[in-house]
Amino acid sequence: MIQMYHAEKRYEGNVYALRDISLTIERGEFVFLTGSSGAGKTTLLRMLFGADKPSTGQIIVAGRNITKMTASSVPELRRQIGVIFQDFKLLPDRSVVDNVAITLEIAGVSRREIRARAWNMLRRLGLGHRLDHRPKALSGGEQQRVAIARALVNDPPLLLADEPTGNLDPDLALDIMDIIADAHARGTTVIVATHDPSLLDRYPHRRLVLDQGRLVTDRAPETYPTAIGRAALPLP
Amino acid sequence: MIEIEVIRRILTSVRSALRGIRSAPLVFVISVTTLSAGLLLLGTYLLIVQNMRGVLENFGQDLKLVAFLDEGATDVDAMKHTLSELSGVQAVLYVSNDTALVRLREDLGRDADVLDGLDRNPLPSSFELSLGPELREEGSLRVFAKQVEGMPGINETRYGEDWVQSYGRILRAMEWLGLGLGVFLMLILGTVIAGTVRLAVYSRNDEIAIQRLVGAGGVFVRLPFYIEGAIQGGVAAAVAISLLYALFGLGLPVLGDILVFLLGKPVPDFFGRQEMLALVLVGISLGVGGAMLSLLRLEERT
Ligand SMILES: Nc1ncnc2c1ncn2[C@@H]1O[C@H](COP(=O)(O)OP(=O)(O)OP(=O)(O)O)[C@@H](O)[C@H]1O
Ligand SMILES: [Mg+2]
Repeated sequence: MIQMYHAEKRYEGNVYALRDISLTIERGEFVFLTGSSGAGKTTLLRMLFGADKPSTGQIIVAGRNITKMTASSVPELRRQIGVIFQDFKLLPDRSVVDNVAITLEIAGVSRREIRARAWNMLRRLGLGHRLDHRPKALSGGEQQRVAIARALVNDPPLLLADEPTGNLDPDLALDIMDIIADAHARGTTVIVATHDPSLLDRYPHRRLVLDQGRLVTDRAPETYPTAIGRAALPLP
Repeated sequence: MIEIEVIRRILTSVRSALRGIRSAPLVFVISVTTLSAGLLLLGTYLLIVQNMRGVLENFGQDLKLVAFLDEGATDVDAMKHTLSELSGVQAVLYVSNDTALVRLREDLGRDADVLDGLDRNPLPSSFELSLGPELREEGSLRVFAKQVEGMPGINETRYGEDWVQSYGRILRAMEWLGLGLGVFLMLILGTVIAGTVRLAVYSRNDEIAIQRLVGAGGVFVRLPFYIEGAIQGGVAAAVAISLLYALFGLGLPVLGDILVFLLGKPVPDFFGRQEMLALVLVGISLGVGGAMLSLLRLEERT
């Protein structure tokens, strides 16, 4: 699903947000991306959905080379990817169901089908009774579920989540993680960026650890949880 | 089923444009007001020019060139034949000096007795030439008149040249001025629309970002703004035409005498269906053009 070959991201003034990242993520994997603040997690995710290009190196996502991609082929890539953020990014002047509908409108789905599918998705996430509310009337956890519904309503093969639980109370955070895990169980490839240790400890998934832009640890799920504190797999 | 998807996206864009208008109605009203004021100005001007041109054409339809004969000229039939063979001449009428005198008497009416003292007819005989459209233009008419004057037996020609010339010159000046005014207005109005659309883009930045995030291509993002511009332009043109029509109706009685003087007829024409359609199209293209202008630098990425 994802390949990175010596990918780097350098900003002006020789600030490296990412340095020499090489990795492969297979279809159907669930991967945590972690590391302290400023380590480069957001930068890496942004490149995966084509919001940024690497300065050097190659990145392949769902068969498309991000490095060489033109601006006009970004939309097509994005339709394969659901993205969620810490701050939800919902439109305040649209109802819950209309927020979810945006994804389908862009895909050219008929109005009736849009409503039905958005509805279904929201019901699955426990928001069936909130369809016509504005996002502001919802709790943080509910808002994030709306954002997840928007990301998943078109069944994208890849879900990227940047600190999806960063703004939520711990029990709501687990709620959200369960929903993401459910999407994973249905076959979606998932990458979650987080520096919340309680999440990392709870789910035995592969972990990519960034430190100042470098990939310092790539720990496979088999080695977890016995390998805490020890780097189980040496980097290639 | 590509077509259906395209139609759906257009419909979605229309809804999005309408939502944009509804969410900032004041901006819309201000923009439409400015636009229709500009289009009203332009429309008024076009209406005047159109009517002036109409006058010239009307005049042209009974535009006659009178060629006076030398006193001794005799071979009238041959001359008439030659004249009628000239290109652009539709008909040639011979007016003998006797007929001319009769006409003059009729014109003078009660004062005709001033002619009684004459011992001989002082009027020359003449040909009256009806001219086709190719000779109604001032330049070609002048050349033609010279040509006729050069013919043996012709003494002099007349065709109301002063009037045609100055009226034509005024009309031409008006047309140029109108063109300048038009271009100037287009620029201003285009800028107005561009400004409104830019406001709309700013106010919908979040929406655009999210559309992009879930995979909206450039067209999908831009289309609502083009549509919004088109709606503004179309509505403004409709308002301008209605206002112009109302003013036209109100103004006619007041301006009646002046119009008779200027146009030679009491009732000027309003725009036909085609001209109105053209004005609406101008409004719409202004709207779309302005929107394009303001979206020129819209970021494609992120
Ligand atoms: N547009 C930019 N221009 C310059 N430097 C940038 C830019 N974006 C990010 N950076 C730098 O790149 C580094 C990585 O940033 P990034 O946002 O990816 O970190 P992060 O791991 O997501 O951090 P956090 O956990 O705080 O979200 C930081 O040092 C940041 O200052
Ligand atoms: Mg971040």
